[in-house]
Amino acid sequence: MNKVKGVISGIEVSGSLSLVSVHCGRIVLKSIIIDTPDTLDYLVQGADVELLFKETEVVIAKPGPLDISLQNRIPATVFSIAKGELLSSLVLKSELGKLESIISTAAVMQLKLEPGTAVQAMVKLNEMMLSPC
Amino acid sequence: MITAELKKKLWSAQGGMELDLQFELGTGESLTLYGDSGAGKTSTLRMLAGLLPPDSGRIVVHGETWYDADKNIDLPPQKRDIGFVFQDYALFPNLTARQNLAFGLRRGEAEDFLEELIEISGLGELQHKKPGQLSGGQQQRVALARALIRKPKLLLLDEPMSALDHQMRNQLQDFLLDAQNRYRFTVILVSHDLGEVIKLSDRVAVLESGLICKEGSPAEVFMQHKISGKFQFSGRILHIQQEEVVWIITLLIATNVVKVVVSENESRELQVGDQVVVASKAFNPILNKV
Repeated sequence: MNKVKGVISGIEVSGSLSLVSVHCGRIVLKSIIIDTPDTLDYLVQGADVELLFKETEVVIAKPGPLDISLQNRIPATVFSIAKGELLSSLVLKSELGKLESIISTAAVMQLKLEPGTAVQAMVKLNEMMLSPC
Repeated sequence: MITAELKKKLWSAQGGMELDLQFELGTGESLTLYGDSGAGKTSTLRMLAGLLPPDSGRIVVHGETWYDADKNIDLPPQKRDIGFVFQDYALFPNLTARQNLAFGLRRGEAEDFLEELIEISGLGELQHKKPGQLSGGQQQRVALARALIRKPKLLLLDEPMSALDHQMRNQLQDFLLDAQNRYRFTVILVSHDLGEVIKLSDRVAVLESGLICKEGSPAEVFMQHKISGKFQFSGRILHIQQEEVVWIITLLIATNVVKVVVSENESRELQVGDQVVVASKAFNPILNKV
């Protein structure tokens, strides 16, 4: 599980849903949750939180503009790759710290990923969990 | 409403310990006492039952004082409106299941409630058997029904299901919940089974060396992180297996076996037998109507 620390910088509420923006250094990551400031005590502007997301939900793209719905984008470089027959585990270095991504080995080949390659790590906002810290 | 303030010097294998507890419980509420052995859980139940005298304190149940050190009040166990079920069933071996239940009836009391209890506890077919002819789960069902026959205000359960297999536990838990819904008695349970605690209790008090160190709903007490994911269960690890760059963790959640993929780092912290919280976002699961 990837853990990234940040500070809540925006909360948009609609019904029982909240779209929470979290400032992690210069990067803003967003999470959609079934909670509101009324139901979750740490859901307040300025609160320190951790964003949790699974390695298997981290999408890898090469840098540059993309016509894609994923808005959580973290610039990173590949630090190391452990290749299996079907799946590979990538350790990425970013300004948010080390992140891990598990993608198909075929995709590693297709994107020609190797240590040092610049990438964007992307996560859907419904894959981001929040936890107080 | 039940109010308890209990102080008692206890002796355990680790030496002396000062038990000092205070809690309040609403009618029909369930509280679990959770903690290591020797923390004072069973002693607390015994003090509530009148089987162990506190050094000082007060026990008031629905306005009736059962114990008050200052006023010299100490009702004997038979005057306290309680049911008590232990891990061993403590049934009379020479009496049938029905006779065991009837033994608890007060003289001259109608047997209507006995019939009702036999029905809701599912003992109809078994009522004329003696304990020796019943399985452990069935005997414990008789013990639980017997504890309810006097319609107690307070039911004390000391690990009543720990000797039973999962299916039996489930049946007994369902019977207990059903009975509690019907008769609105208050429950204080001692249990180590996380699944059971979550299923049966409204509140949990964690005891450490005679003191309550943590109290709240099961979710508040057992969730280490208040993770926002709404798809959460507690389970036990059955198996850990590496597949290429991921680890597949097989978990038992209630009676279901499920698998969860984790990374190498996480797998290092996990062992077979560990209790874990499984969390995902409500956005991920799909539902298939059957």
